Amino acid sequence: MRSRIKGTAVAAILLAGAAGVGSGIGSQATAAPADQGKVKNVIYLLGDGMGRTHVTAARQRYYGADGLLNMEKMPAVGQVGTYALEKNSGQPGAADFHPNLVTDSASAATAWSSGVKTYNAALGVDAKGTVVPTVMEQAHAAGLATGNVSTAEITDATPAGQMSHALARGCQGPSYSTGSCQDLAITGSELPTSDIRVTPIADQIARNNTADVILGGGLSRFDAADETALKDSGYTVLGSPTSQTVATKTDLAAASGKKVFALFNKGNLTIEKFKHDNPAAPEAQEPTVADMTSKAIDLLKAKSNGTGKGFYLQVEGALIDKRSHANDAAQTLDEVKAFDDAVKVALDFAKADGHTLVIVTADHECAGFNIIEHGSFTNAEADVPPVNKDSGNAANNSTPLRTANQAKDPSRTAFAPATFRTADDPAGVTDGSPQASLWLTYLSGNHTGADVPVFAYGPGSSALEGEIQNTDLFGIVRHALSLDVSGTPAKVASKTALSGSTKVKAGQKAKIVVTVTPAAATGSVKILDKGKVVRTVNLSGGKAVVKLKLAKGKHRITAAYAGSTSYNASASGSLSVRVR
Amino acid sequence: MKNAIAVALAALALSACSTAAPEGGGAAAPGASTPSPVVMTSFPDLPTPTGDPELPGIATSAPAAGAVGHIPGPFDDRFALARLRFDGSQVTGALDITSDVSDLLELQVLAGFYDAKGRLIGQNRFTHHLDEDTHHDSGPPSEHERFTIAVPAGLRGKAVSAAVGVPVLVNE
Repeated sequence: MRSRIKGTAVAAILLAGAAGVGSGIGSQATAAPADQGKVKNVIYLLGDGMGRTHVTAARQRYYGADGLLNMEKMPAVGQVGTYALEKNSGQPGAADFHPNLVTDSASAATAWSSGVKTYNAALGVDAKGTVVPTVMEQAHAAGLATGNVSTAEITDATPAGQMSHALARGCQGPSYSTGSCQDLAITGSELPTSDIRVTPIADQIARNNTADVILGGGLSRFDAADETALKDSGYTVLGSPTSQTVATKTDLAAASGKKVFALFNKGNLTIEKFKHDNPAAPEAQEPTVADMTSKAIDLLKAKSNGTGKGFYLQVEGALIDKRSHANDAAQTLDEVKAFDDAVKVALDFAKADGHTLVIVTADHECAGFNIIEHGSFTNAEADVPPVNKDSGNAANNSTPLRTANQAKDPSRTAFAPATFRTADDPAGVTDGSPQASLWLTYLSGNHTGADVPVFAYGPGSSALEGEIQNTDLFGIVRHALSLDVSGTPAKVASKTALSGSTKVKAGQKAKIVVTVTPAAATGSVKILDKGKVVRTVNLSGGKAVVKLKLAKGKHRITAAYAGSTSYNASASGSLSVRVR
Repeated sequence: MKNAIAVALAALALSACSTAAPEGGGAAAPGASTPSPVVMTSFPDLPTPTGDPELPGIATSAPAAGAVGHIPGPFDDRFALARLRFDGSQVTGALDITSDVSDLLELQVLAGFYDAKGRLIGQNRFTHHLDEDTHHDSGPPSEHERFTIAVPAGLRGKAVSAAVGVPVLVNE
């Protein structure tokens, strides 16, 4: 299936963990009893697409209006800003800062994993395409045990944000394709296919050893070569990528070892509602997210006991988002409940352990989920939205005035709320009936820009209180795991120089030599003509040689080194080239 | 196992990493006294792709003349093909995602074209790439994608059948 050439050199960039951006630590002045003590482990649970209303609606449905989900019982509560960036934007505060107010899961995952804002679809790279290390990579490098659990394909954005670096989240594998992996808006021209940023995410995960325990879906993304690579790296592989045999919860229960790789579905895991309704179906053999969390904690605890160091585990309840995209409230609420059951597993461990920080949050809100008054209806997709012109009192008017159907899909004219019984409703009240007390609507089928809730328990949890940005989560986790107090080196300055042809005959190519020092610098260099990118090339031994065919006239060539996890970016002076 | 491959390590190391002992025998796994890599930027056992992906069954998927066959691929349990037509100059059809209701991020449909003896004589592709700048489906998340794949120039009149398969498929 793949067409590849052997012979890629390994370039392993060492910890330059001071990604430095967005790593602020909030005040820890509020000292609840659970907030005291030293953190040894961090369990980070992420409900994909889980906004505040998702939490409230699930609470009301399963525990009643006066009840609480497990995550709501955690003592520290805050909210998280989630905005992303446009492509090629600078970071907040930079002159070229261009925010995008609604994030996707990839940009959000990069924010908390690497401490930088980036563009939607980017994983482990900033908005200009520079590779940034993740906190899970840093934890692994520091000797902590690491785990990554998801109910999505393990190559999907949230888990991949900790274990890969890709220009485009669609570059998942099993195969490279130009359309899904390259992004010319970032790089100007196609990157060599050996570049990590266009290497399929499955190939990266199978080879970079970032997570010791990998549990989730997405077996179709992996192939026989990946299975070989995993086993060569010491993983116990449950099921088989080679034969496309999925692992089962029975396999998982029996698993042991310091490194375990198990995927339970070829795609995303199956929604809980289907498994409940179809207990004899093969999909019912998939573990729940709580099952996976429990096993991951057991495996990581056993490994960390052997090293004397702690562990870092990320858990994603992915299907909250996917079912919200579908505006399926019944399945969405079941997935929130399943995710909250995993939160309980983590909390029970943390309470017994005493040295574990548990963080529960979301990457973004999905679909404008809302609880509306009994008997009312939704506006956004209605055929005729309520007018915002008040003929009786002009003070009530808004601008601009709505004069027509503004639904994105004009055909969507009969959008009714979903109704659900809650724990407080009398017996006999059924889901879908007008008598059910929980009336739910959606604003859209896509993400929204609302802040998301964050809950925390354990030592250091007060850092999560108040209003934070998703990039702050990177610094909070790094601090909790003491990854920022070990003399983490700053990046080294680089210098970029240009040499080459200054006079060229028309029709001939101009040879341009780019030299970046120190020579150990890796990454890419953009070649620009009068400020416009004309070529992007990778460095080899600190050098890159390009031959440019230029039009007649004068050209002002410059080079810009993008930097790397170890070296700062730098730019050359200009080289004048005249083509006669 | 991969000793023949040069290992290029940048010079920065975290002192706290020096005792990290890898369990696996991967090529980039350092010994106990060497610093651990943080970001691995390439992999010695991974062949470098030279182009868009192939499907192994393309050479043996020729249907009867005038028909459109199916080339097996890794995502066949995630979609249904419909309205497949081949008119000698192009193959058309539609693909409905059956696994998820969410935006279709990436799709590539590979078409093989065959002569009267069932021999593969050419191929072409349809690519869907969802990008905020270049292509964004408005309205509800998309589950349906139509495709048209032309017979390569020079093969028209020679190709009598086609087959299609999906090597790339990513939903959000």
